[in-house]
Amino acid sequence: MISIIKKPNTNEEIFSKLNPITSKWFKQKFGSFTDAQRYAILNIEKRENIFITSPTGSGKTLSAFSAILDHLITLSGKNKLENKVYAIYISPLKALTRDIEINLTGPLQEMEKIAGKEFGINLGVRTGDTTQYERQKMLKKPPHILITTPESLALMLSSMKFKELLRGAGWAILDEIHALAENKRGVHLSLSLERLQDISPKMARIGLSATVEPIEDLAHYLVGHGRICKVAQVKFAKKFDLQVISPLPDLIDATYGQMQRAQYKKLHELIDTHKTTLIFTNTRAGTERVVHDLKEMYPSKYIENIGAHHGSLSKRHRVNIETKLKEGKLKTVVCSTSLELGIDIGYIDLVICLGSPKSVARLLQRSGRSGHALHETVKARIVVLDRDDLVECSVLLKNSLARKIDTLHIPTNCLDVLAQQIYGLAVADRWNIKDIYALIKKSYCYQNLAYGDFLEIINYLAGNYGELEERYVFGKIWYDEETGEISKRGSQGRLIYMTNIGTIPDQTGVLVKTGDVAVGTLDENFLERIKKGDIFILGGSTYQFQFSRGMVAQVKAVPGKQPTVPSWYSEMLPLSYDLACSIQLFRRNIEDHFVNKKSKNETLDYIHEYLSVDENACKAIYNYFREQYLYVGLPHNQKMLVEFYQDDTINKKYVVFHSLYGRRVNDVLSRAIGYIIAKLQKRDVEIGIGDNGFYVASEKNIQVLRALEILKKEELGKIMKVAIEKTEVLKRRFRHCAGRALMILRQYKGQKKTVGKQQVSSMILMKAVKRISDDFCILKEARREVLEDLMDIENATKIVKKLKNGSIEVKQVHTTVPSPFALKLVTQGYTDILQMEDKVAFIRRMHKNVLAKIGKKHRLEE
Amino acid sequence: MQLPKHFKIIDLALQYKDTLIIGDLQLGYETELHKQGVLIPSFQLKDILKRLNNIFEQTTAKRIVINGDIKHQFGSISEQEWREILQLFDYLFTKVREIILVKGNHDLTLRPIAKKRNIEIQDSYKIDEVTILHGHKLPKETTKTLVIGHEHPAISFPKRPSEKYKCFLVGKWKKSTLFILPSFNPLTEGSDVLQENFLSPFLQENINNFEVYIVEGKKPLHFGKIKTIKKL
Repeated sequence: MISIIKKPNTNEEIFSKLNPITSKWFKQKFGSFTDAQRYAILNIEKRENIFITSPTGSGKTLSAFSAILDHLITLSGKNKLENKVYAIYISPLKALTRDIEINLTGPLQEMEKIAGKEFGINLGVRTGDTTQYERQKMLKKPPHILITTPESLALMLSSMKFKELLRGAGWAILDEIHALAENKRGVHLSLSLERLQDISPKMARIGLSATVEPIEDLAHYLVGHGRICKVAQVKFAKKFDLQVISPLPDLIDATYGQMQRAQYKKLHELIDTHKTTLIFTNTRAGTERVVHDLKEMYPSKYIENIGAHHGSLSKRHRVNIETKLKEGKLKTVVCSTSLELGIDIGYIDLVICLGSPKSVARLLQRSGRSGHALHETVKARIVVLDRDDLVECSVLLKNSLARKIDTLHIPTNCLDVLAQQIYGLAVADRWNIKDIYALIKKSYCYQNLAYGDFLEIINYLAGNYGELEERYVFGKIWYDEETGEISKRGSQGRLIYMTNIGTIPDQTGVLVKTGDVAVGTLDENFLERIKKGDIFILGGSTYQFQFSRGMVAQVKAVPGKQPTVPSWYSEMLPLSYDLACSIQLFRRNIEDHFVNKKSKNETLDYIHEYLSVDENACKAIYNYFREQYLYVGLPHNQKMLVEFYQDDTINKKYVVFHSLYGRRVNDVLSRAIGYIIAKLQKRDVEIGIGDNGFYVASEKNIQVLRALEILKKEELGKIMKVAIEKTEVLKRRFRHCAGRALMILRQYKGQKKTVGKQQVSSMILMKAVKRISDDFCILKEARREVLEDLMDIENATKIVKKLKNGSIEVKQVHTTVPSPFALKLVTQGYTDILQMEDKVAFIRRMHKNVLAKIGKKHRLEE
Repeated sequence: MQLPKHFKIIDLALQYKDTLIIGDLQLGYETELHKQGVLIPSFQLKDILKRLNNIFEQTTAKRIVINGDIKHQFGSISEQEWREILQLFDYLFTKVREIILVKGNHDLTLRPIAKKRNIEIQDSYKIDEVTILHGHKLPKETTKTLVIGHEHPAISFPKRPSEKYKCFLVGKWKKSTLFILPSFNPLTEGSDVLQENFLSPFLQENINNFEVYIVEGKKPLHFGKIKTIKKL
């Protein structure tokens, strides 16, 4: 069903097929077609589904639109242009929609000049910003090309009048598929496309994407289940100049201060020798810190010409930075990840990644932000911060140059999104549920949806949960079990749907105040992690956390103090599984050198050749690996090191699992093993999770081998279902899912609900929902989201299998000082506590501790 | 430290001689949630009745004082509140001879429901030298012992920061002994007393020396003073 186009069309073939006006315009403007255009134009003209992957700046917009413009111009020439939508363009970014409109208006005007007359082709943008007046105008005079977002598309499909405009559309264009398919917005869109296809059976789908893997799955996602799709893989035409840079030759002996100074010196050097530099820091806190520190260290160099850009900053600030960047008014912009995607940001000649970008796709995407013109060189530097970073980024660089793109995970069978879309269908029409089921199953994301799950969602929407007398409150749709028909219910139904649609959870920013003065906002996830007295960075300053009430956190400014907690845990990008495996392989190759007693120089040469990094980097990697090898041995893809480390100064035992599989996999492994251990010893255990491994810590002796035996025997999914049951993350994700399934409404009866209210209710919500059923469909979805999307149970299962069949060997070692590879993990602190004792047992034990402390005095008082 | 004479903790209730005292039921919370668009089923009353039943198995108290905030909403009375509060009264009358309602800050419009069952609403209730009052306002005169609600005290432990435990606090206010009742509402745990962020005018002073009694399981457990737990 998916076929890769081997040969693109020739310029001549395309010119001969196009309308003379379009042809002439292309000849005058460009002379020839780009690769992407040669693959795309004629296939689109023939109304075939096509999935185009190409690097940024390869003329994608015109690849997708040329054939459509050509078709419309021909119709216009014959006076056959009708009052309807011919093509729908969908972009995940609202900001991009205006760009597309401008990028199409220009060529159209130039072609009109060639033709010597106006075509009467209308373009229209419909997003959340479109006013009621504009929408009304659109209904009277429909745009021939409609530019929109996934959310607005869903709204239009549920509006009687707009739906009629969309009927019989010829093309749907999905832009930036790589950014959509990996999250629930993409899942949501896949269903909207089926709804669109249902009213436009002949519609062809055009997908545009950065280079992705697995390409067949993505093409399949684009067209849905059982349809044909052609795939055009446009090669990188640009030259790549990528390097890993270590600010100091020796990353281990430098003090924190030396490292910081060297890092900023390097940054400044790079910025100073380029025209415009874009820096990625991975986190919002990192962005703030870099801007602050650069200004402080080079006060005369960075004044008005540096800008910060991240998701917590106001929209106005971000747009201002983007505009200045485009106008060339900034020397450097520092961002978290927020400028990876999106609108054209003008001339950038250098991209710097401060710390690992964590995946090949991400590095290529970021690098592509420089040298935006087609044949320019892409230039990016990764500045590494420690030895793990150095190894990771060097392998990342190697994979990037070899274009080994990481596998993208597409969520499937999301029941919350399904509920929202079925509600949308019922709002617009009367349906038989059998037809709905058939429609849904055409989406790639739901092709394996079980009928039972589907029915549960229908019943949920019909309000069939809770006490009978309350069901009128819960019911969203009318459902006749006899006939299997559903339709809208009550007068509020449409309004509730229209005002609560979408898949992106509300920003749950907690307002941070010193006294009555607001100093910024913090992520709610972060707030859950910090305790009274913890010191953290916000907006470049240090604060000490006092307490929080509702959605306000009270803090005290403590200038110059060292932060006691790492910032923005939840934001940490996970290392991609494929890249992790490559690093493991590299470790094994080095172990071979050590085991076979290859000389130091021979090994250094090998590292240099394998990773193409400079001499200092080679030495640093060599030393790092050598130390680990001599101390306890090297863990790698066939050997999982399990390190028992006991610090005699504290009453705590650690077991470090050197499982370099990325934190999404380690999240699963650590919780499963931690849970089993906690159950064995009937005690809570602490776990710490990183990309390179995880640890389990406890006051008691940890029975690792028994735990591993149990892990191998039991079904991972079953263990994990219980292991995540009490976690904060499940509660939080449940609230998000309940929001998407419209069990919690953002807007209801004219009131916009504050996020604070939602937060207060998230625990209560969990309690209430478990009363309905332990397997209530939305709760089930939250568990699925945590295990499959947030974590990676699929690959974790593969690892367990390998442990079982012996292709990964477990080696136990004992240390009193953590091994070099374990050091970072042990010092980073815990990620979570797995609760095993029940509430009563826990409280009794705490009580004993109290009695032990106050015993004597206590008795005296009595 | 032992509780003052004649006082006893039974689950989330405090007993003084033959009077049982509970606080902050906040019935009707779910309707409020529904209004805000949180569409979860109600189960609060069911849980409250179950818990009360357990308490009545351990006591022969003849009188119950509901120490404020029996209902959740400040304003009008919702349908759920009407229904559930009357159900609660009817249940209680099968167990005790007298119900006394002490007015809380949420109970501005309680009178019509109370009237249905001929129950008086009072600003505070006095037995011997014990005054029972909600605690959102200071009393005009004090007695040897005061019992308030309003604060919903609960506590969390550094070893398990994600969980909170309802607790009684007992300490000194001016020259009186002050009891603070945990909330009887099964939906919420309460506010963490270690965060020291109190609303009540009774708790504006340092409460480090207040004694903590946690109720989880059958018997209340004495945890010593707040300052001891802080060091745990």
